[in-house]
Amino acid sequence: MEKVIHRSRTHLAFASFRQNRMAIFCLWALVILYGLAIFADFICPYAYQDEDRDFSYCPPTAVEFVDQGRWVCPFVYKRTLTFDAVHRRVYVKDLTQKYPLHFLKEGRLLGVDAPGRFYIWGADARGRDLFSRIWYGARISLSIGLLGVGISFVLGLLIGGIAGYYGGWLDSILMRLCEMFMMIPGFYLMLALRAAVPENFNSVQVYVSVVIILALIGWASLARIIRGMALSLRERDYVLAAKTLGVPDIVIIFKHILPQTISYSIATLMLTVSSYILAEAGLSVVGLGIQDPIPSWGNLLSDAMGIVPVIFAPWILLPGFFIFIAVMSFNVIGDALRDAFDPMFREEGIE
Amino acid sequence: MNPLLIIKDLTVAVGAKVLVNNVSFEVPRGKIVAIAGGSGSGKTTIGLSILRLLSPALSIKQGSIIFEGHSLLGLPVREMQNCRGARIGMVFQEPLSAFDPLFTIGHQLDEVLVAHTQLSKQERDKKILETLSEVELPDPQRAYKSYPHQLSGGMRQRAMVAQAMVCGPSLIIADEPTSNLDITLQIKIMGLLGRLKSKNISILLITHDLGMISHVADEVIILRQGMVVEKGPVGQVIGQPQHEYTKELIEVFQ
Repeated sequence: MEKVIHRSRTHLAFASFRQNRMAIFCLWALVILYGLAIFADFICPYAYQDEDRDFSYCPPTAVEFVDQGRWVCPFVYKRTLTFDAVHRRVYVKDLTQKYPLHFLKEGRLLGVDAPGRFYIWGADARGRDLFSRIWYGARISLSIGLLGVGISFVLGLLIGGIAGYYGGWLDSILMRLCEMFMMIPGFYLMLALRAAVPENFNSVQVYVSVVIILALIGWASLARIIRGMALSLRERDYVLAAKTLGVPDIVIIFKHILPQTISYSIATLMLTVSSYILAEAGLSVVGLGIQDPIPSWGNLLSDAMGIVPVIFAPWILLPGFFIFIAVMSFNVIGDALRDAFDPMFREEGIE
Repeated sequence: MNPLLIIKDLTVAVGAKVLVNNVSFEVPRGKIVAIAGGSGSGKTTIGLSILRLLSPALSIKQGSIIFEGHSLLGLPVREMQNCRGARIGMVFQEPLSAFDPLFTIGHQLDEVLVAHTQLSKQERDKKILETLSEVELPDPQRAYKSYPHQLSGGMRQRAMVAQAMVCGPSLIIADEPTSNLDITLQIKIMGLLGRLKSKNISILLITHDLGMISHVADEVIILRQGMVVEKGPVGQVIGQPQHEYTKELIEVFQ
């Protein structure tokens, strides 16, 4: 009967997940974010490093459809930089000069011929298109969390599984190791680990080292919980049965113990992804993460550290909005999965 | 011919509490030897001691276990593991909990063959289907693909026996193999165990069911609070019990 219960449990869990409208909404939000990141080359009008200093902090450009009372192909007006009485930048529309937008040129969805430029979500200090930089940055920010979690997951399951299954001194050593990682507050541990990384790393090496740093801060808590589950699972009859049949320990851990923890692990993973996205942003904001000109949501936000740019160019806060969307979506989905897999919660829901 | 298994002066204790006290007996080749006794008499502990799978709190204080001429207690861990499942199989009381609910019966039998043999996938499948039909499962192909919960109790217990014998062991330890089955299934499973003798497999039957013992066992050891109170051929022990405890047990069953 146990198997019947198990199968229907998974079914029930997914049914319950599907009924959670908020979770489905967040799932779609993530699908869209990841989709835009993956197809950034196509969707973005400019490459992430494409700059034009004549358009520093250019505000979002309106795309015009109506010219002298008639509908025409979308175009943008030329904009020229002037300064007002208090030396603030003002971009003035030049109604005589129009640049038509063109579609599907040079492998990009939208574009405009130089010297015209258009900024859907405004420009940064160096006149780079924020829209493009956000979606190229999404590639870094959204992948770094997943990769970091992937490594944490493997470490956590492996170390937790081994500690719980064998118990004894091995358990003690591994758990003390976990505690050494857990006793240092996450952000400081991250800074310390980052300090150990050589400064002359290129961007790929920095990316990899950030992934590893993230993985190292999160595996310990997962390992501890998996260890607790393994401690109880190893008392199951089928584990003893597998032992009497001479099945090697490592096979027992991977086949008979870890699969039973999967529903919990997946829910935890989702929650961890969101904390890793935040952690990467934190590192990058203080300038220790991915380095300019390669964008990540964190280092895009670091441009918004000063009060002046935020007041005069509030659109540079947009990456923060997307960090919020991504983090919240992963959290909501993680919570929904945890509730869906937890029969206690579900029964409460029925009442 | 030497007996297959010789247990001598086995003493198992948890802390100062002695669970199995100076137990000695032998299992001859191709015979069924039963260990009988009430709950807590140390029957199961003896079974697990042979496989060296006692829980860490329990320890073997003294004694020796000689299997096929080798001392199991002195064997390196790796060789002991090769012995489990390959030379000694074990059948549990509750097959539902002794199978992992996440894998098919065929997969779990395969796991044993993978651990102990170098056979190819095809050879292993052939062997598994052969073994499943040997334990008289009506539809071995179906049983192979079934998950534990999809089989009936009797079929599961047969699958369990198949798992214990798939590598061709010389000893099967059956720990209350029929306690959870109804009486007709009990008789069928016992008949199955009886037929294993013809394959020269010895069985160490752990049970409290004297009725079953008198049907299938050749020899019986009566255990009480970890001590052997009486042992000998079944006819003699059940027919003319010498010890009070044996008489009590027999009375209960009549």
